[in-house]
Amino acid sequence: MPREAEPSLNEKQFVIQALQENLRLDGRELEQYRPLELTLGDQYGVADATLGKTRVLAKASAELTVPYTDRPLDGIFTIATELSPMTSPAFELNRPTETEVLLSRLLEKTVRRSNALDTESLCLIAGQKCWSVRVDVHVLSHDGNLIDAACFAVVSALRHFKKPDTSMEGGVLTVYTAAEREPVPLSWLHSPFCVTWSFYGEQGEIAVLDATWLEEQVRVGSCTISLNRHGEICQISKLGGTPVEAVALLQCSAVSLTKVKEFSTYLDEKLAEDAKRRNKGGLLAELSAENDR
Amino acid sequence: MTATSEPEAALGVLPRADGSAKYSHAGYTVTAAVNGPIEAQRKDENPYEAHVDVIVRPAAGVGGTRERHLESILQSSLSHIILIKNFPRSLIQIVLQVEDSPENDYVNTKLVQGNLNFAIMPALFQTAVLALLSAGVPMRATATATAVAVVFHDGVKRTVVDPSPREIEIARSVHVLAFTSHDELLLAESEGDFIVKEWDEVYETAKKICCHSAPADDGMQMALDEEAAAGPDMRHFLRSTMESKVAADLYWK
Repeated sequence: MPREAEPSLNEKQFVIQALQENLRLDGRELEQYRPLELTLGDQYGVADATLGKTRVLAKASAELTVPYTDRPLDGIFTIATELSPMTSPAFELNRPTETEVLLSRLLEKTVRRSNALDTESLCLIAGQKCWSVRVDVHVLSHDGNLIDAACFAVVSALRHFKKPDTSMEGGVLTVYTAAEREPVPLSWLHSPFCVTWSFYGEQGEIAVLDATWLEEQVRVGSCTISLNRHGEICQISKLGGTPVEAVALLQCSAVSLTKVKEFSTYLDEKLAEDAKRRNKGGLLAELSAENDR
Repeated sequence: MTATSEPEAALGVLPRADGSAKYSHAGYTVTAAVNGPIEAQRKDENPYEAHVDVIVRPAAGVGGTRERHLESILQSSLSHIILIKNFPRSLIQIVLQVEDSPENDYVNTKLVQGNLNFAIMPALFQTAVLALLSAGVPMRATATATAVAVVFHDGVKRTVVDPSPREIEIARSVHVLAFTSHDELLLAESEGDFIVKEWDEVYETAKKICCHSAPADDGMQMALDEEAAAGPDMRHFLRSTMESKVAADLYWK
């Protein structure tokens, strides 16, 4: 497979020098995101997030399975990240690259390990039947900051997703199809988002948000902070690169919080818009068999 | 879910691929990226012609034997229309990503194993052709495809164009046919029980949809409207999509 072309020496120097003068190639501020757009699908659980030229499609799905024997009370929740040659011909099928491994690990840490989805609620009969929720992340085009876009798409897909309704009567489990009963949403606890910082300069003194692919190739280090809109940090990962001052990192996490609040509001708006679009004539409340909490 | 009756397409949707297309019809939405001709891997290198690599990725779950089967069918039929002899030792890579497929509301589907069925073939094929056109890969002819099902309902036989998942479930046989722009049959795949007479009917129906020539002038419009009830006019659709894309690209001239 052909290797991805690296930026030339002149190009690298130009980008770095511009950043030292507080300028970016696309005219953004250092702490400004590219316009984020989310399209929710006609089906439940399909989210298409676009961040500039980066585009990620996430699809959530659920099916009935047997829980793991060591965790009989928990459902199964997996995030599948596979970069296809669609992203770039440099990626090969069934041969994970470093980008892919890092992306899936970060999503796992952010969404799964922070208990954003209550896996206990996915269990139907202890040790026998549970839901297996799966999110497939498809990267359609990659122009930098894959992590933030993918995390946003995954969280949006899961919040938009509805699984078939079930009922237990006299030890008999019934799973209703979409035609019989309106599907129910997942029990969602909080929405974590990733914010990735890229560092430039000799001591990593220039911190930049939402780097494009070109900017990502010339950075000296990066740091991903995952947090929800209440400011609860789920994880911070800084994998190698130039060491960065602790005070600078604190500053970064403070700015990250304001960004996450923006993401969160935007997602809430989009979900409300989608619910309104589906609920023509206001009949959905009657169709739903779900109880209020 | 509402299935759109008219096909819709957008070209050049992905900024980094050589060519790309998004196509939606009858509830199926597929995005394709084409890269090529690019350097081939050693094992795929052919000294006489280009290797056409087709990758089908389901929206949910991992691809299995069904996807490999679809890939092999698409690969062999697309190799016939791409001028592969022009690019020896190279690779033309076509990645098809399924985004949406119509769901049967009456059954809960198994999802971890991808469940692509036969009816998605025309959507995959059409997207691949559009993406190849967008990438500017030299081709012998363009092609159009359609799916036709033979359904027995209350003892009455019907041929259904672009069947829904529910219709496929009750159908006696499902056929996928593709024609080139020279009205030649390019692909004929069938599933189920049928007799030669039924297949001939299916062939005629599919040919009408795939090989309908574009309306010549307004006088013909009336006659065409009646026939249009049978299904969309695929060749005209392909042409008008390309025309609007070219018009948009050459706007500066």
